[in-house]
Amino acid sequence: MVAALDRKLLRDLYAARGLLIAVTMILGLGISAYVANLSLYFNLELSRRSYYAQCRMADFWIDIQKFPNAELERLQRTPGVSELRSRIVMPVTVDLENVEKPLSGTIISMPPDPMPVINSFVLRQGGYFTPFRREEVIISDGFARARNIRPGDRIYVLLNDRRQELLVVGTAISSEFVFARGPGTMIPDKAGYVVLYVKQAFAEEATNMEGAANQIVGLLTPDMQSRPQLVLDQLERQLEPFGEATSIQLKDNESHNQLTSDLKGLRTVNLIVPTVFLAVSALILDVLMVRMAQQQRTTVGMLKATGYSNGQLFVHFMKFGVLIGGFGGLLGAAFGFWLAGYMLNLFRQFYEFSRIINRPYPSIVLGCIGLGVVIALLGAFRGVQQVVKLRPADAMRPKPPEVGRRVLLERWSKFWESLGFRWQMVIRGIVRHRLRTFTGVFSSMMGAALILQTLQIDDSFRELISFTFDRMLVSDFDLSFKDELDYGGFIETRRLPGIDYAEPILTVGCTFYNGHRSKRGAVTGIQQGARLTVPRDTVGDPIEVPETGVILTRRLAEILAVSPGDPLVMVPLTGARQRLTVPVSRVVESFVGTAAYADFNYLNSLVGEEQALNSVQAKVSTESGTVREFYRALKQTPRLQGFSALREQKSQLIELLKPLKVVNRFLIAFAGLLFCGGIVTSSLISLAERKQEIATFRVLGYQPRQIGGIFLRESLIINTLGVLFGLPVGYGFAYFINRAVGTDLTRLPFYFENSTWGLTIVLGAIFTVLGYLPVYRAVRRLDWIGALNVNE
Amino acid sequence: MLLKLVDVDKTYRMGDVDVPVLHHVNLRIEEGQITVIVGPSGSGKSTLLNLVGGIDRPTSGSVFFRGHDISDYSERQLTDYRRDRIGFVFQFYNLVSTLTALENVRVSTEIVRDAMAPQDALQLVGLSHRLDHFPAQLSGGEQQRVAIARAVAKKPDLLLCDEPTGALDLATGRKVLRALVELNTNMKMSIIIITHNVAIAGIAHRLVRIGSGTIAEDVAVEQRIEPEDVAW
Repeated sequence: MVAALDRKLLRDLYAARGLLIAVTMILGLGISAYVANLSLYFNLELSRRSYYAQCRMADFWIDIQKFPNAELERLQRTPGVSELRSRIVMPVTVDLENVEKPLSGTIISMPPDPMPVINSFVLRQGGYFTPFRREEVIISDGFARARNIRPGDRIYVLLNDRRQELLVVGTAISSEFVFARGPGTMIPDKAGYVVLYVKQAFAEEATNMEGAANQIVGLLTPDMQSRPQLVLDQLERQLEPFGEATSIQLKDNESHNQLTSDLKGLRTVNLIVPTVFLAVSALILDVLMVRMAQQQRTTVGMLKATGYSNGQLFVHFMKFGVLIGGFGGLLGAAFGFWLAGYMLNLFRQFYEFSRIINRPYPSIVLGCIGLGVVIALLGAFRGVQQVVKLRPADAMRPKPPEVGRRVLLERWSKFWESLGFRWQMVIRGIVRHRLRTFTGVFSSMMGAALILQTLQIDDSFRELISFTFDRMLVSDFDLSFKDELDYGGFIETRRLPGIDYAEPILTVGCTFYNGHRSKRGAVTGIQQGARLTVPRDTVGDPIEVPETGVILTRRLAEILAVSPGDPLVMVPLTGARQRLTVPVSRVVESFVGTAAYADFNYLNSLVGEEQALNSVQAKVSTESGTVREFYRALKQTPRLQGFSALREQKSQLIELLKPLKVVNRFLIAFAGLLFCGGIVTSSLISLAERKQEIATFRVLGYQPRQIGGIFLRESLIINTLGVLFGLPVGYGFAYFINRAVGTDLTRLPFYFENSTWGLTIVLGAIFTVLGYLPVYRAVRRLDWIGALNVNE
Repeated sequence: MLLKLVDVDKTYRMGDVDVPVLHHVNLRIEEGQITVIVGPSGSGKSTLLNLVGGIDRPTSGSVFFRGHDISDYSERQLTDYRRDRIGFVFQFYNLVSTLTALENVRVSTEIVRDAMAPQDALQLVGLSHRLDHFPAQLSGGEQQRVAIARAVAKKPDLLLCDEPTGALDLATGRKVLRALVELNTNMKMSIIIITHNVAIAGIAHRLVRIGSGTIAEDVAVEQRIEPEDVAW
């Protein structure tokens, strides 16, 4: 049998269902945001790990000129090495019949039969190689889909100056290329860059590498996972006889780097919002529970008179908290899990994982339910404490009318009197119910802050794109070459049809060192007075590249902890690889990449060259037909390694930044709910508390609209305060998130459009009105005649 | 002797001023009797009832229940006292609106060991046909009788009624008084009724008159009348 008090509890909850639904939803939303974002992060991380395991992602890559495969077994005995694989990796130009411009790609050799080798792939369409042909290829699935290529199609590659026809037998994805970007491009581009897996025999023959390879990928033994450099140093020493070896660790792998910093950013952003939500729902719940307990005042008196002990009553009222918290937690956990699945699905567009796992995390769910209960209990505790503390005789007396106190504003008597009694009532009420006012102001403040911060991210995107593509990189095309060209090569390239203007660039891949800090990167050498690559400060003013020293982007300078004037050690990845000490001449703001710039001639002299270059930036005439002619010429250019059209990169960048925008859409919706939710609940609470007051107004002849006006006035004051405080808080959030989401590849400028401030205020006003609607409805539907007849 | 009040003072503090409510009250109540305490509003009769019922404490003086000074009781002892010895009937019934008549009675039977069956308690007050009705579906008199059933069901030694007919019309009030008289006759239950309605004193064994916080009159009722003959 359900005890009589428990029955009372359930019926009380049912009677207050409207309000409870509102509070449970706010609590549920806070918790669902927690569950969703935490499980989104955990599941993406889990999916990543499972993908890496499935593809047997390498711990390191070593590029080498020509390594005899026969030596592999000996090399494999190096301490710390668990497994090695040698393969041929070669840039190619891909020529698709229906695509005018040349596309870049990378050929990678694979064993003729499927084996779980290091850095293998997951087949998506078609199958593995057959024994029937030599020229079979498995291409990256993203490229195949973007270019509408299916197994059975043929594609052409320019490999080792020879045009080769390849038969596509399958498409695949690989953890090595979650973010694949071609040489010379900044932005991962599925349609513009392709990975081509070919049979080893074909690769050896086509690249003149019979019995040899030019890249070694490997796995470390578990004990060396934390010290990869020790192993790599040993391997590099052993590889000395086979030409220059350049090694990179997993942490410097571009795709891995982008992926992990994306996930890290996601985690940071996604902790702020749920925390705000939980804080707000905790406050609202607190106010509500205090009020619910107070409403039961006379019942508490009766129960005490009947002989119920404080302990028994305490337990009874705490059950309210447990039920509300438990239910809110459960609801939140269920919705959160669904939301996590939904967001994961959206992420499928951006991350090509072998499978995206949406796994529920019982510990998160239970933790969140527990959290809900604790929050509700804290609120209930305060309310119950106040009521149970009363002597039964006092408790049974109706609550005395609250002391109406004068507020500070009343000192300006002329002004105060001109307000009219409704404003006066509202203002006194706001001053009197401090916690309730605080809750309302806090939730609208957080709502406004989240709206501002979310809108600001959009501003930053726009600014990033315009800064980078309209002011910094103003060429039409960037061509990169396999080997360094001399100045003659530049002159020759400049003569390609359609090119109006061109500038040479020398890029030197290197590792920067400052003490124990190091970072793999590159220095871009640009000519004095270059017009096509213009490093700029945040204001947008061009920065002169000094004749000596390097300019670093702020991000790179931060990673290396150097400032202007400091010496920096750079070790080029190719050539003589001497340790070069160069002065940092300046640190500039840049929003794309960890970049370093130097004077073209200065960089040349550093690496012992004279007027060497490895890429050319070009402006191409816009006359019709010239671009086509230019493309055709490019397809014939043998040493071309990569090619990027800047205009296209602009739209690719917009693609790349979409995951953040997805999260943003949810944030705006949540912020709106938060903004409304706080004021709706606190209005509903005050409506319930003032039933008799409202009934009296109705008796006097007030219309619901006029009574609703009192609540609207209250919302207006509270929300205006909330928005006012919310703007600076939102600025703070935006700043924090801006710092947190910066990755090595992209970094958002911290930029506000003026309209963002205005829009936040307008949205605040709209949400205020929206939040007023349910309150007005409640006023209209209030059983005021009943309220008049109720004692107390 | 059931109850003895010795030099009981009660002062309330309202803001900055002390408001004396009871002053040097001395009173004895015998077992098995109906005592009616009358007095105008603000005379202190409700306060007196609260002190006797252990839901409030005297500022000074003692309240003895069967020889035990309950004004010395701890909070816990007072709770036990209320649970095991006292039944309260309030002027505005104080029923839980979300519970049926039967469930309202159960609220009190569930916390004592040797309680009546809730149905029996409701039968005592003539409500066996209204067990499953919610307070809002009952008349005022019925609600008050549910409240009496709730108080009686735990078999208290002393039933305290605060204006039990105060919110009722004459006919309904008589029914409630009938229920009280029967409890006293059949179960030998001691009952204290406070009221500003002197007419009710007719059903009592004793009449105590209280005014301005002191006992003005304390007499035996010589000619008791039937509840049905009470008129106001």
